[in-house]
Amino acid sequence: MSAATLSAFDPAMVDEARTAHPGAFGSPKRRAIGWTIAIVVLAYVAGSLWYFEVWKLAYASDRALRLIRALFVWKDFSTWQFANIYAGIAQTLAMAFLGTLLGSLAALGIGFLAARNTMRVTLFRQAVRRFLDVLRGVDQLVWGLVFVRAVGLGPLAGVLAIFVSDMGTLSKLYSEAIENIDRKQVEGVRATGASPLKVVRYGYLPQVLPVFISQSLYFFESSTRSATVLGIVGAGGIGMIIIERFRANLFDQVAFVVINVLVCIFVIDWISRKIRERFIGETAH
Amino acid sequence: MLKIDSLTKAFKDRKAVDGISLAIPDGQMVGIIGRSGAGKSTLLRMVNRLAEPSEGRIEFDGREITALKGRELLHWRATCAMVFQQFNLVGRLDVITNVLTGRLYHHGLVASLFQRFTAAERAFAIRALDRLGMAHTALQQADTLSGGQMQRVAIARALVQEPKIVLADEPIASLDPLNAKVVMDALRTINREDGITVICNLHTLDTARNYCDRIIGLAEGKIVFDGNPGQLTQRMAREIYGAEAEEAFHEGMTSTTIGGEPAKARLFEADLKKSQAAARAMAG
Amino acid sequence: MTSAISTFERHRADLIRQRRTMNLVFIAGFLAVLAASVYISRFYPERLASGLPRIFDYFGTIMPNLKLDKLFLPRGEEGRAVPGSITYWYADFWLYVRLIGETILMALTATILGAAAALVLSFPAARNLAPTRTIFWAARRFLEICRGIPEILIALILVFAVGVGPLAGVIAIAIHTAGALGKLFSEVNENASMRPVEGIRGVGGNWFEEMRYGVLPQVLPNFASYTLLRFEINVRASSIVGFVGAGGIGMELNRVISLYSDDRVVAVLLLVVMLVTVIDLLSERLRTHFIGKENLA
Repeated sequence: MSAATLSAFDPAMVDEARTAHPGAFGSPKRRAIGWTIAIVVLAYVAGSLWYFEVWKLAYASDRALRLIRALFVWKDFSTWQFANIYAGIAQTLAMAFLGTLLGSLAALGIGFLAARNTMRVTLFRQAVRRFLDVLRGVDQLVWGLVFVRAVGLGPLAGVLAIFVSDMGTLSKLYSEAIENIDRKQVEGVRATGASPLKVVRYGYLPQVLPVFISQSLYFFESSTRSATVLGIVGAGGIGMIIIERFRANLFDQVAFVVINVLVCIFVIDWISRKIRERFIGETAH
Repeated sequence: MLKIDSLTKAFKDRKAVDGISLAIPDGQMVGIIGRSGAGKSTLLRMVNRLAEPSEGRIEFDGREITALKGRELLHWRATCAMVFQQFNLVGRLDVITNVLTGRLYHHGLVASLFQRFTAAERAFAIRALDRLGMAHTALQQADTLSGGQMQRVAIARALVQEPKIVLADEPIASLDPLNAKVVMDALRTINREDGITVICNLHTLDTARNYCDRIIGLAEGKIVFDGNPGQLTQRMAREIYGAEAEEAFHEGMTSTTIGGEPAKARLFEADLKKSQAAARAMAG
Repeated sequence: MTSAISTFERHRADLIRQRRTMNLVFIAGFLAVLAASVYISRFYPERLASGLPRIFDYFGTIMPNLKLDKLFLPRGEEGRAVPGSITYWYADFWLYVRLIGETILMALTATILGAAAALVLSFPAARNLAPTRTIFWAARRFLEICRGIPEILIALILVFAVGVGPLAGVIAIAIHTAGALGKLFSEVNENASMRPVEGIRGVGGNWFEEMRYGVLPQVLPNFASYTLLRFEINVRASSIVGFVGAGGIGMELNRVISLYSDDRVVAVLLLVVMLVTVIDLLSERLRTHFIGKENLA
């Protein structure tokens, strides 16, 4: 077997190599499996899109065009109620702030009830955890809708929705942070004869508080994002302004508001990242 | 004939390669030596056009390589195979597919995206692996191989490109002496049997002496020596390597001299066993 | 000696004073923001006090009114379910099942479409792989826009354009998925080893072949893991987009919550929570089964 070029390879030589190394020529079984998967996925996508009536896209062109035109051609710019718009954005931020703050305070208590090392009664702990699962399983927007039904349209429903869903998630995160604690410090405090509440205050809190704060900041950030859509179900904030103008076919204003919201979210992301970097940078040592 | 004319690669503050001119006839085995940072790697990468020269030109058989673009550039890279220090295989693909990637240039986009290689190409790849004693690993995932095995697979990949030139950038720097010898023997074999020009960056002097027809010494981006191994005096070598001289001359460092045997024309598993025995004898 | 001690004491006092002022400033700022938030969102105690009882009233009315003795009674002669039985509570059970099926299909289709788009876009959106700076910039901005707009907002607009039904929801979720996964995928790509890429470039492969052979085999397990995770998120999303008329169980949830104040609300909510929990569990199993062995992202 000396040097040979590819063009000098005749079928006999190919067959020879094939008998010596059959696997190198690709197994027909694997190829069949590959084809089957590809066909199934493609057939599924095509079938499901057909079920979802994908042809409607073709009829939508005039409406879509109207929409797209409105996004770029802004009419009567001076008559837009900017104060109203920015008040809406401010309301969204306020809702996110209050909701996250209340959720964090509640989670501060519930977190200790859901952590294995601070809540010894298994039955009670499990009950608390299942309750939290339900809070998290229901989307924030559903909570929004429920609270709008309960307390009426407006930011109060939004704050409550953010509060409930943040409480669910933060309690779980807090309880995990509590479970990952350094036990020696707690025992040190307990050895001084401190009461259980003081053990929590001096043994646990100093260790977990930085983690709690950083997680809450992160949730403030994500809540501002989700709070913008809470208004779509009537729970206050900029979402209500968006849907109001949308219903009135003022698409140019909708586009303007959405751009403003995006910029706002971007700025908050940036500030929150900076704060978290600094805060964690300071407390990690 | 590969002709390099006053080739320069300038970085911000220094010139990695500084006005090198060279002519390498077909079928020569060339070793480029020099201390680290002398510009060996940059020079080879410019020949393959993985790095862009700042000035100067490269010509091959009368075609200006430095002016190639698009599909012609890819064709040049397919003609001028590269073997890397870190092998640069696709670790998660099997060995045979890694070798077959050497044929990518010859396929259309759809065929290559769906891994459609012809039976003749597969047979050709098996043959290339067989020449390097690696055919039995064809279906293994590449990242399960040892360094020496990976480098042999990389050489097989270079072979299925049917190249006119093989550029080897420190092919044995990450290998132990035994594997280094196997790899250098393989490069020597394809040079002698297939008549492929081999240009090889080497860190150690004795490897270059044992395997190459011609040695080029680089220092600070300039050619300071160009001649056959016999002409390379000890004093000259010290000048090329400077402070790294001791390391470069030290026989144990990734050198290929195990039993003092000359390079073989062919590689067999028997050779491998003999080398292993020799290595054991030296250790014992 | 005494001077050393007094210097130390002075520094200590300075430090304490500094820290105290910092804390005061921080607390003052915090209180100011809090006050502003309370004012802006009109979150006053009296509103809360009047609202809270209503919340409990409402939750009382939507709880299922089950009677232990009638729990398993079947439908009566004329096809009517007995009040207090499970069949009465879940009178529309099969409608809910159909809608939940639709919700899962929506999430699956949107995940596949979005992941496919993300896969294609993640290569130009990776700093180390993009062919040119302009393409990189354009791909990144495009993904950011897709990710930045909440899916329910896209759904709202699409419902206007293509009409009420799941199609708007699927496209909205797919767009958002493309943005979110595209960012994650491109980050995975940026961490991929460039050596295989250089190897493929060295044999004369073009950009597509570099991506296909040099990058894709490295990143595929991570992509799969992220896509499964996204599927979980999309099941939640597709149960929500119905609020604006974009199909799925959300449409029924919206109808039930907005129109009625009875046990139907909890009936649907319970199914949604179960759906989300089951999908989470299954997907977690699948992820550890497929990816856990190789590498867990």
